[in-house]
Amino acid sequence: MESASIAAGGHAGEHHGPPEANQSSRVEAQFLGMLLFIISEIMLFGAFFTAYFFIRVVGDGGWFPMDGDELPKLIAGVNTAILISSSFTMHWALEGARNENRAALRTGMLTTLLLGATFLCVQINEYVHVGFAPADSAQGSIFYGLTGLHGAHVFIGLTLLTFATVRAYRGHFTAKEHRGVEVPGIYWHFVDVMWVVVYTTIYIL
Amino acid sequence: MLNPLRSEQEAFRFLIYVVVVVAVIVAVVLVARAL
Repeated sequence: MESASIAAGGHAGEHHGPPEANQSSRVEAQFLGMLLFIISEIMLFGAFFTAYFFIRVVGDGGWFPMDGDELPKLIAGVNTAILISSSFTMHWALEGARNENRAALRTGMLTTLLLGATFLCVQINEYVHVGFAPADSAQGSIFYGLTGLHGAHVFIGLTLLTFATVRAYRGHFTAKEHRGVEVPGIYWHFVDVMWVVVYTTIYIL
Repeated sequence: MLNPLRSEQEAFRFLIYVVVVVAVIVAVVLVARAL
C-alpha cells in the first residue's frame, strides 16, 4: 500500500506521519515537565507549611507532646533512614542503567520500591497507633495534613517506580536511553528532600 | 550551577546537601534550646 502510494505520489524520501514536534526550549520536554510539576509541588507543600507555622508560631496551643499525645520520633526517624536509603538505591539503579549493568538496575529498582513501600506501611501503622485524630485539634489536623500529603506523594512515586521496575525487568533502558528511570528518580529524590523537611519540622523541632 | 531538576545525578547530590544542612540546623536549634 505504502509503496503503491509512493510510486503514485512521487517522492520516495517524503516524510510520512505527523510532523515532528516543535521544541522551543533548550531543556528537554521530559525534564521541563518534571521541573514545572515539582515547582507546583513546592507551592502545594508551601501552603501546608504556612498552616503549620501559623499554628505553631502564631497560635498559643503549643505543639506535641500535648494532652498526653506524643509523636513517635524514633520510629519516624528510622522511617526517615529507610526513605533516604531508598534514594541511594535509586541512584544505584540509574548508574546501573548508565553502565548497562542490568543486575544493578533491576536490584536497585526493586530495592527502592520495597524500601518506599516499607516507609508507607510504617507511616500507616503510625497513624493507627498515634492516638489522636485529625479532628481532635489544629495540631492534629496539620500533622495528618502534612504527613498525609507527603504519603500521597510517596504513593505516586511508588506507582512511577513500579512502571520503571517492570520495564527494567522487561529489558528496557540502555546506557543512552534511560529517561524512564531518571525522571521518576528526580521525583523520588524530591519526595525524599520533602520528607527530610517535614520530619525535622514536625517531629524534631 | 547545581540544578536538582536537570538530572537525577544533581537531584541526588541536592538530597545529600539538604540532609546535611537540615541536620546542622536541627543540631544548632537543639543545642541552643538545651543551653
